[in-house]
Amino acid sequence: MIKYASTRAAFIDSLTELAGSNPKTVLVCADSAKVIWADGFKERFPERFIDVGIAEQNAVACAAGLASCGLIPFVATYAGFITMRACEQVRTFVAYPNLNVKMVGANGGIGAGEREGVTHQFFEDLGILRAIPGITIVVPADASQVGKAVKAVANIPGPAYVRIGSGRDPVALDADLPFELGKTRVLKAFGDDVAIFTNGHAIPRALAGAEELSKAGIKATVVEVHTLKPLETEAIAEILAKTGAAVTVEDHSIIGGLGSAIAEVIAEQVPVPLARIGLRDRFPESGPAEQLMDAYGLSVGDITAACRQVLARKEGRHG
Amino acid sequence: MANLKLLAEKAVQTRIAILQMIYQGKGGHIGGALSCTDILVTLYYTVMRIDPKNPGWEGRDRFVLSKGHSVEGLYAILADLGFIPRAELDSYRGFGSRLIGHPSNKVPGIEVNTGALGHGLSVGVGMALAGKMDQKDHKVYVLMGDGELAEGSVWEAAMAGSHYKLDNLIGIVDRNRLQIGGSTEDVMALEDLKAKWQAFGWEALEVDGHDFNSLVELAKLPIVPGKPHMIIANTIKGKGISFMENEVGWHHRVPNEEEYAQALQELELRMGAF
Repeated sequence: MIKYASTRAAFIDSLTELAGSNPKTVLVCADSAKVIWADGFKERFPERFIDVGIAEQNAVACAAGLASCGLIPFVATYAGFITMRACEQVRTFVAYPNLNVKMVGANGGIGAGEREGVTHQFFEDLGILRAIPGITIVVPADASQVGKAVKAVANIPGPAYVRIGSGRDPVALDADLPFELGKTRVLKAFGDDVAIFTNGHAIPRALAGAEELSKAGIKATVVEVHTLKPLETEAIAEILAKTGAAVTVEDHSIIGGLGSAIAEVIAEQVPVPLARIGLRDRFPESGPAEQLMDAYGLSVGDITAACRQVLARKEGRHG
Repeated sequence: MANLKLLAEKAVQTRIAILQMIYQGKGGHIGGALSCTDILVTLYYTVMRIDPKNPGWEGRDRFVLSKGHSVEGLYAILADLGFIPRAELDSYRGFGSRLIGHPSNKVPGIEVNTGALGHGLSVGVGMALAGKMDQKDHKVYVLMGDGELAEGSVWEAAMAGSHYKLDNLIGIVDRNRLQIGGSTEDVMALEDLKAKWQAFGWEALEVDGHDFNSLVELAKLPIVPGKPHMIIANTIKGKGISFMENEVGWHHRVPNEEEYAQALQELELRMGAF
């Protein structure tokens, strides 16, 4: 039975706490307060809340101006409206001058955009931001991790992006687990046959896949890579060297996100067979999240099949 | 009382530096740099509250060169005021130089990296909001080109400026009426520009962008509390060098040896008259 908790609420609770302890904290919205459940923040800190209306380019550039004067603005709206509509502002006015602007993108992934369709489903955000120098990029596992990740990025200077979901987000991890920025972690180690790298709300699927494989005698290690940038390359290379085969599982296009990041480490450092689970270079439809992810190649069966395939390649069989 | 003679002198001195930087650096945007020289000189030598010895001073007024391609005059002024060493101007556009073709905050005295057009006013809105939030009395000056007003983001910022009653925000349009592709009115008509800003809730004023008598009045802004101000400064592209004035080709042409000599002679003649 899947439990749900809102990553959006978790973000706002965490930000409200931050604003309570650091008056330099500012929330910048583009008529997105309702989207990110910010009513509580608005009520408590009306003087620290800026809404520029449906104008994301202005929201991001304006946040750059706030940051240049020493404030710590969090721009929060749908992931694509930050990373696509305001892409140049993010690159040239936030990342290039290395300003302390934090960005929080909702509806990351096809599952998070469930019934809204492609206009509100964002599966390119991480690829876009990864191509821009100097942005810390975090894909927390679930609501509890979002709360901690938001505080972690607030504590480092410079631009950062935190990906959140729809507000109906599966609980993936034990709520007591800490969040350590920049670190990968092993969530489950059945053995070293294959490594499954995953993040965000795809984690429960990766874990279920590993469980199923274990019953069939294939021992996987599930590794969470919540910080896509800076990527903990050494730890990843070490795991790859141990398992000799890898599968990535993410709710993002297989181009540009976790799958690409791991492929880069593999190609440059530890050449092993790899299969990428994610949206395969096409536009999805809309529908209930779980059904959508099953339909677009992120089912538990897809994950186990990918693991068997890389294992076969590792062993020199035709996968 | 501002010393108008000093401003006029600084303006010629700055124009000479612009010409030399662009000639030696083999690149730049000379027409627009010359059209906004008098505005920059007025801001930096009389209007703005700044401290060259302490570029990061918290109480400083903020300046955003939204038309970042006109950076040469700004570098010359920053060097003259002591923000950067004067000798550094010779490194303009060279490998490893901080003085690249568009402003960067690596240069002391420059707040933000601009040059991609249409964004500066939004950044200025953020700076002005920061002032209001923290009850600071700094003012924010944003110098824009007229051509960049075709960018939609400018008008997002225009709405926010009046919505948040940012009377600490002063925009200036370098209205030289030319952009790279021709006349602004042919490329994408801007008129009635003053009425547009007024309709967006700004206090809009028109001035002669080369008349120091009018420009020094910038120091008196805001004149209407609760409103952001937009100054439409009518200017001449290429101002100060006879054969460049109002010639669209001089948007980013680099003068050849002969042209350089003639231009320098014209400016030095004027300098000698002080």
